Amino acid sequence: MTAYFAAATALLAGLAPLIVFSVRASPADGLVALNLGGTIATLVLLLLAEATQRQPFFDLAVVSAVLSFAGGLAYARFLERWL
Amino acid sequence: MSDAIVWVLLSIGVAAQLSGVLGILVARSVFDRLHLTGPASIFGPSCLALAVVIDEGPFSQAGLKSLLVALLLLTLSPVLVHATARAAYVREHGRLERLSHATEEPRP
Repeated sequence: MTAYFAAATALLAGLAPLIVFSVRASPADGLVALNLGGTIATLVLLLLAEATQRQPFFDLAVVSAVLSFAGGLAYARFLERWL
Repeated sequence: MSDAIVWVLLSIGVAAQLSGVLGILVARSVFDRLHLTGPASIFGPSCLALAVVIDEGPFSQAGLKSLLVALLLLTLSPVLVHATARAAYVREHGRLERLSHATEEPRP
């Protein structure tokens, strides 16, 4: 289980530069960072569920995968038309 | 043996994600950034889900759900990349144009 905790920690550390970047960059660049951040957050949830051996937590990863896609798509449409 | 495989898969997955982060930080345009996040959305989810499947078995609840997560990310992220690239193109050029003829003047 240590391996999963270590991998989740490394991925969480990778999330920090993305947050800083999406605050400072242009909207389209920030959207790219948001998309990758959604993927990383989903994988962190997956790894933490496996590390803690809690079966229901895997549902969080599934929901996060779908919702980060929906959120990114909504942002993309807004950036294309109105923002 | 399977522990070693799990470690290797986790390392590859994490390295793919972190290389995607690095790519976003160093690239110069939106399209380069989208291009460099490709490995992160392919190798990351598949390697990490495979590690969970090797540990838990493919037909356990954890294995099935991690396979589902990997499948979702693999199928949905190309759509997202396409939508983002389209939005960035429209923002840059004003509207979406068809690039139909090779005889057209190349875009500067």
